[in-house]
Amino acid sequence: MSDETKTCSTDSGTEPTAARLHLPMWILVALLTLLYLGGIYFDHHSGWFDKQVYSPYSNAAMLESYQPKSGAAAALAAGRKSYEAVCGTCHGNDGLGKPGQAPQLAGSEWVNTKGHNRLAHIPLAGVSGPMQVAGKDWNMSMAAMGAALSDADLANVLTYIRGSWGNKAGEVTADDIKGIRSGMGGRPQMMTHDMLMAMPE
Amino acid sequence: MTVNEKQIDTSCRVPLLVLFGGAALWLVVGSVLALVASLTFHMPDKFGDCPWGTYGHLQPAADDALLYGFCIPAGLGVLLWIFARIGQTPLRGAMVPVVAAHLWHLGVLAGLVGIFVGDSTGFAWLEFPRGGSALLFFAYLLLGLWALMNFSGRNERGMFPSHWFLIAALFVFPWIYSTANILLVGWPVRGVVQAIIAWWFGNNLVFLWTSLVGIGAAFYFLPKFSGRPLHSYYYALFAFWTLLLFGSMRGVPVGAPVPAWLPALSAMNSLFLIVPVIAIAIIGWKTVRGGAGRECKGGSFCMIKFSFVAFILSALLLVTSACPHFSRLTQFTWFGAAQTQLQLYGFFAITMFGAIYHILPRAVGIEFAFPKLIRVQHWFAMAGIILFVVSLVIGGVVQGLKLQDPNVAFADSTKAMLPFLRASTMGLLFMLVANLLFTLNVIALIFAWKWSVAKTVFAFLISPLAKTEVKA
Repeated sequence: MSDETKTCSTDSGTEPTAARLHLPMWILVALLTLLYLGGIYFDHHSGWFDKQVYSPYSNAAMLESYQPKSGAAAALAAGRKSYEAVCGTCHGNDGLGKPGQAPQLAGSEWVNTKGHNRLAHIPLAGVSGPMQVAGKDWNMSMAAMGAALSDADLANVLTYIRGSWGNKAGEVTADDIKGIRSGMGGRPQMMTHDMLMAMPE
Repeated sequence: MTVNEKQIDTSCRVPLLVLFGGAALWLVVGSVLALVASLTFHMPDKFGDCPWGTYGHLQPAADDALLYGFCIPAGLGVLLWIFARIGQTPLRGAMVPVVAAHLWHLGVLAGLVGIFVGDSTGFAWLEFPRGGSALLFFAYLLLGLWALMNFSGRNERGMFPSHWFLIAALFVFPWIYSTANILLVGWPVRGVVQAIIAWWFGNNLVFLWTSLVGIGAAFYFLPKFSGRPLHSYYYALFAFWTLLLFGSMRGVPVGAPVPAWLPALSAMNSLFLIVPVIAIAIIGWKTVRGGAGRECKGGSFCMIKFSFVAFILSALLLVTSACPHFSRLTQFTWFGAAQTQLQLYGFFAITMFGAIYHILPRAVGIEFAFPKLIRVQHWFAMAGIILFVVSLVIGGVVQGLKLQDPNVAFADSTKAMLPFLRASTMGLLFMLVANLLFTLNVIALIFAWKWSVAKTVFAFLISPLAKTEVKA
C-alpha cells in the first residue's frame, strides 16, 4: 500500500463492499429489554401526556394530592385520608365493601339518607345482628370503629362517605357529631337494626 | 465499468474546492472566535468595551461558524464525492453545486455579520437572522436536490450502507431547519412550545445530522482503508433505523419546565440510544480489526479511527442524560458544552479532516504542499479535543456537585471552574493550531491548482498555432 500522504498516484481502485452477516440475536434481546425498561420509566415519570403534570411530579393524582385545599374540598380530602386508614380495609377504598366481610357503602340506603343521625350511630357505637344493605342480607357485627376519632375527623369521614362513589347526601359537621356523641352517654350499647330504625333519621 | 476513477474524481473538482475551501476558512474564523470567547472567562474586561466583543456575541458566532461554516459544507462535499464514487458516475452539472456552495458561504457570512450587529434570533444554533437562514436553506435545497439527481442517475445501481445515512441527512436538514425557522423566527409560536422546538432542532442538527453524515462517511472509509468488507450490511441497517428513530426523539433536558412527558420521552430515547451505539461500535471494530490495509501513520485512516471512537464516547455522554439523577447534577454545568464539542469537533470535524485529506488531492490531481503537517495537524487536533473535553466533563461534574451543595455559595461554585476553563482554553488553542495547519494545506492546494490553470491558459495563449489551423 502507498504512503498515506502520497495519494493521487495510486489508489486501491475498488469501492468498499459490505459483508452479509446476520445480526446476532443478543442485540435484539438487548433492544427489547431496553424497550421494556424504558416503558417502565415512561410509565412512572411521564404523567401519560397530561399537559398539567410537570416534573418533578409524575402523575395527575400525585399533583392533586399536593394541591392546598379549603372548605368542602379540604373536608373531603381529610375525610378520604381517615376513611382509607380506618374504614377502607373492610369497606374498600372504592366503597364497594368485601363479600363476607363488610357491606358496601356506595349506593347504600343507610348512607344516602336525608339526616345523618342513624348513620353516625353506627361508627360511634358499633352495630350487630341481621340487617339489609343494598338488597343483601348481612348478619355480622362491627365494633365502634369511629368512637376513637375526633368529632371533626368523624364528621369528615361521614362527609366523604356521603359524597363519594355516586353517593349524594349532605355534609356532616363536627358540631353534629358532638351533639350525637353527647346524647349517647358514656359506654353505649351496640346498635341493632331495630334500635337504629327506632331513632329519627 | 467504462468510467475510470480519475474521471469521477476530477468531475467533482470545482464544487469540492469551493465547498472545502470556504469550509476551511470558516473553521479558522470559528476557532479564533471560540478562543476569544473562552478568554473572556479569564479576562472579563478585555473585550467588554466594544459590544460585539462580549461573550454573548462571540460564543454563538463561534458555534455557528463551526457548524454551518465548516461542518455542513464539508459534509456535503464528502457526500457528493462518495455518491459519485460508489455510484461509479462522474458528477453531472457541476456548476449547480458550485453556485449552491457560494450561496451557502454567503449565507454564513450574512448570518455571522447579523450576529455581530445584534440581529441574533436568540435561539441556540439558530442565531442567524432571516436573510442568512433563507440563503442557507435554498443553498442546501439546491445542493441536496442535485446530489439526489446524481444519485438517481448512478451507473452502479447497488446501494451501500453509507447511502442510507447520507440520504437521510439530506432530508433531515431542510425539514428541521425550515420547521424551526418558521415556528421560531418567521411566525413565532407562543410560550413554552418555543423552547421545546429549539431543543428538538438543536438535538436533530447537532447530534442526528452530524451522526448520519459522519457515520455514513466512516462506513465508506473504514472498509476502504482497512481493505476489508464492512461488517456488515445487516448490522448497518439495524444501526441506521435505531439511530434515526431514537436519535431524533430526544433533546429536552430533564429539569425542563415543560409537561413531564417531554423530558421523560427524551430520557427514554436517550436510554435506547445505547443500542445503535453498540451496533456501530461493533461494525467499526469488526471492520477494522485484522485488516491488511494501510497502516495508521497519522493520515486519513488514523483520523477516521480516532473520530469513530470520539463518536462512541460522545453518544455515551448523551446516554447519561437517560439517568435523571446524573443529568440533574450536570444540567447547568459545562458538561453539555464538552459533549457538544466532542460531537462537532472530536467526531465530525476530524472525520471530515480525514476524508478531505483523502479526497482533495485525488479530485484536484495535485499533492498537498506540506504533507508532513498532516500528521502534526492530527496530533494538535487530538490533544486539543482531549484537553477540552476531559477538563470540561470533570469540571462539569465538580461544578454540579458544588451547585447542589447548600453550603457552597454560587460565586464559589463558579470560581471553582477556573482551572478547568483554563485547561479548556488551552485545548481551544491547540485546536486553533490544528485548524490553521489544515487550512494552510487546503488553501495552498487551491492556489497551486489556480496557478496550474493559469499556466495552462498562458501556455495556450503563447503557443504557436498548429499547422493545420494555419490557412494559406
